[in-house]
Amino acid sequence: MSALLTQSRSRLARTSTYFRSLWSRREFAWYLAMGNLKARNASTALGLLWWVINPLLLGLVYYLVFGVIFESSRDLSYLLSGMFVFHFTSQAMTGGANSILQNSRLLANIKFPRLILPIANLIEAGVGFLASLVVLYAVAIPSGSADLNIHFLLILLIIPIHLFFNLGLSALTARLAVPFRDINNILPYINRLWLYLSPIIWPIEFMDRMSEPIQRVMLLNPMWSIVGVYRAALLGDPLEPGLLATSALIALGVGLFGIGTFIKYESRIVRHL
Amino acid sequence: MSRPAILVDNVSVRFRPYVDRKPTVRRSLARLRHRETTEVNALTDVSFSVTPGEAFGVIGRNGAGKSTLLRVLAGTLRPDDGKAVTNGTTSTLLQLGVGFNPELSGRRNVYLGGLAGGMRKADIESRFDDIVTYAGLEEAIERPVKTYSTGMFSRLAFSVGMALEPEILLLDEILSVGDESFRGKSMQAMRDLLDRSGTIVFVSHSLASVAQFCDRALWLEHGRVKQIGPAEEVVEAYQKAASK
Repeated sequence: MSALLTQSRSRLARTSTYFRSLWSRREFAWYLAMGNLKARNASTALGLLWWVINPLLLGLVYYLVFGVIFESSRDLSYLLSGMFVFHFTSQAMTGGANSILQNSRLLANIKFPRLILPIANLIEAGVGFLASLVVLYAVAIPSGSADLNIHFLLILLIIPIHLFFNLGLSALTARLAVPFRDINNILPYINRLWLYLSPIIWPIEFMDRMSEPIQRVMLLNPMWSIVGVYRAALLGDPLEPGLLATSALIALGVGLFGIGTFIKYESRIVRHL
Repeated sequence: MSRPAILVDNVSVRFRPYVDRKPTVRRSLARLRHRETTEVNALTDVSFSVTPGEAFGVIGRNGAGKSTLLRVLAGTLRPDDGKAVTNGTTSTLLQLGVGFNPELSGRRNVYLGGLAGGMRKADIESRFDDIVTYAGLEEAIERPVKTYSTGMFSRLAFSVGMALEPEILLLDEILSVGDESFRGKSMQAMRDLLDRSGTIVFVSHSLASVAQFCDRALWLEHGRVKQIGPAEEVVEAYQKAASK
């Protein structure tokens, strides 16, 4: 019993040392992210404008297909809000895998808490996400589909929840991509499937047409609650009871699991690169 | 005797062959069933210590385990057995320009490289002018690093590495940095470091510079310590063995 206590205490001490050194390296994470952002667009004619153009084009492509041709999506702001939220998560996943694989020189030469790399990737994708919210309002406010009300304050809760969820997934794909590079080949399909299974390109009313067991499975999708809360915050849609708590619980679970798995593995990363 | 700056105690590092091949699900499954058991011993039972103020050379043929040893000392590779302890802030110049992004300006890369090495932004800010002057890049500092010549790039990287004011400096084959005058300057910077009782571990194929610059040297062969002692003696023995 006391041995168990000592063991868990030393584990706690190690974890707190890890996060303290992570915190002391925060400027490094920020510079890495900003450097990548700058470098990515440095050689293009439109430069930083791409952060607004990319989500706009992404939204328009899906609107053309699902809004205009198939007429399956209610309106553009419904589609875009879901699209942008989902895109941030999918970027976190693909970027997380690459953040380790593409920085092998850094990893081999310098000792630092490896979680810095998925975090820097998350900051980078987060800037794109904020830019896409500007695009969303540029579309939603003129068309009158954003009903801004007190629910907007939910944004202060859902963004941290979403970030923690993304960090967990990003750390998880980063950890898996080191021994299994195959992840990079599979991820686009996982993301595509996940998008189609989420209430993003089809309206929530579609659910009524599904059979009971399928409905129950669909509700397990974390995007269900996260996108739901975002829509309440950004567009003023009604907030279903329990949605916020569900999203927070899922994010906590996924976040802790992803980060924990990553940290446990990180001392072995250099051997595999 | 004072506390050693570096203490390496029975360190062994083994790589499994998948290090050389891209791991795939199939091979990993095979590994789970212990079918792939061949191991490569990169380092076997290596022990030595380095005292503060000492320049320590590591020589040996390609693949003898020199770079692996430096990675163990840098703390990025955990040994399978044994222990490696370093006492003091360590700067690694194992490869030049680690953490640099060639698309970005020299200025931004000074920050990136410094932060990667463990400096704080405020420290980099206060030393920024010195770093740039030392590298001799006042004119080019706002230009993207990809437009730099190899010499300019190396000078900037070395200058950032030294700005960390490390107590322990790990060097891999980079004394040939820059032109004649910068080489003189970098040698001087390393002598200054030793005078401040800093420690240098120096891996090189240039036997002359190891004999000239280092106090003691370690000769690695197939991952084992072949000989350890005064630099000139070890270099001489190595040369004799190589010419046979």
